[in-house]
Amino acid sequence: MPKKVLVVDDDPDVRLINRTIIEENGYTALIAEDGEQGLQIIKKESPDLVLLDVLMPKQSGLRLYSQLKTNKSFQKIPVVILSGIAKRTFLRSQKALVEFGGNEVPEPEIYLEKPVESDELGKVLRDLLG
Amino acid sequence: MEIKKLLFVTKFDELRFDALQSLLGLRNAALEHVVFLYVIERDKVAMRRGKGYGKMEELRLKEKANIRFIDWAENLFEQGMEVGGYIVVGGFVQHVVSSCEKEAADLIVIGPPRKGKIEQIYAGSDITEIVRRTQKPLLVYRNPSQKGEVPESPFSRPLLVMDWSPAGERAVAYLKGLNKIVEELNVIHVNDEKDLKGSTVTELQMLRKETRKKLDDICDSLVDAGVNAKPHVYIGDAVNEAEKATEECRATMIIVPTSGKSSWKERFIGSTAGTLAEKSAFPVLIIPDPS
Repeated sequence: MPKKVLVVDDDPDVRLINRTIIEENGYTALIAEDGEQGLQIIKKESPDLVLLDVLMPKQSGLRLYSQLKTNKSFQKIPVVILSGIAKRTFLRSQKALVEFGGNEVPEPEIYLEKPVESDELGKVLRDLLG
Repeated sequence: MEIKKLLFVTKFDELRFDALQSLLGLRNAALEHVVFLYVIERDKVAMRRGKGYGKMEELRLKEKANIRFIDWAENLFEQGMEVGGYIVVGGFVQHVVSSCEKEAADLIVIGPPRKGKIEQIYAGSDITEIVRRTQKPLLVYRNPSQKGEVPESPFSRPLLVMDWSPAGERAVAYLKGLNKIVEELNVIHVNDEKDLKGSTVTELQMLRKETRKKLDDICDSLVDAGVNAKPHVYIGDAVNEAEKATEECRATMIIVPTSGKSSWKERFIGSTAGTLAEKSAFPVLIIPDPS
């Protein structure tokens, strides 16, 4: 049974490109348009990896990441951040969330800043999923 | 009534990040989530003879907007806020309404309207239409500073143009929820001069006394809720007097209730809320009728 990769991104073009890369590497792609939908799919499908954008409607990737990493059922799922938001900002924002009462979370497994070459993303998937 | 989520509708040139920053004082009154919306009007990317649909132009405009939103979002994320964004092509009002519904925003912020009078008569005002369809408070933002500096918080010293309608009551309830950020609130009621033709001096004095009594009661309830409120009675045209009062009280924003109904009469003559939103030099917060 192929491993499942969940793409959470509000940009339809990015979703399409990522789906193609995931399927070309022999995995199954699951798709969500925002953080809220992403969490629902994670609960239902338990993906093997999450490819997560940050700036999205309804719920940002920043909050979804915190939710995943502070929930025992999901915290082991590797998360690759794929975003236009800089890694430095992501890490500082996580600290700000802690200051406002959130829990500390580990750094994401891999942080990729858009745009990313398909070869690079494919390699990341293979390294993490085998 | 709390403002937890704000929908910030921008075209970038009329509503920039400094405007949003001036609203961040709302964090002390529960604001935790900002959603950006940029609507690319269809005619900018529409079909052209010999060229077809401007897909490349659409992608270029989207990316340009995305770059601005990323920059703004980084700033807000680092302050511990939740941020989201939409970049869409289509009708302005339609996308403001649908984004507001999807996000369940508590406040919509837009820039000054650009439609001319004739266009408004035939197509209606965007402001009136958004208020009517969302029933959400709408802030028409302007920077009253001529120097281009970052304005102070519009919510620090607002002026409420009170009528005795359900929308007016809603505005009072709204302001009570903002007691942590409102430093001084001036509450005015304008008695229309047209209704007072032929009145004797005694009748005018009686009217002032009655109006003042109602305003006192409202201000007392606001003071009890922790809002420093002061009553004022005006006579004249509601729009002109509201502008005058805003300057006299050195207010930072005008808050005006409205029935939120769009009628043909309103299109031709204009409601107080609509006219203030179109013409005022100050930010105008329109509070629609809850029903």
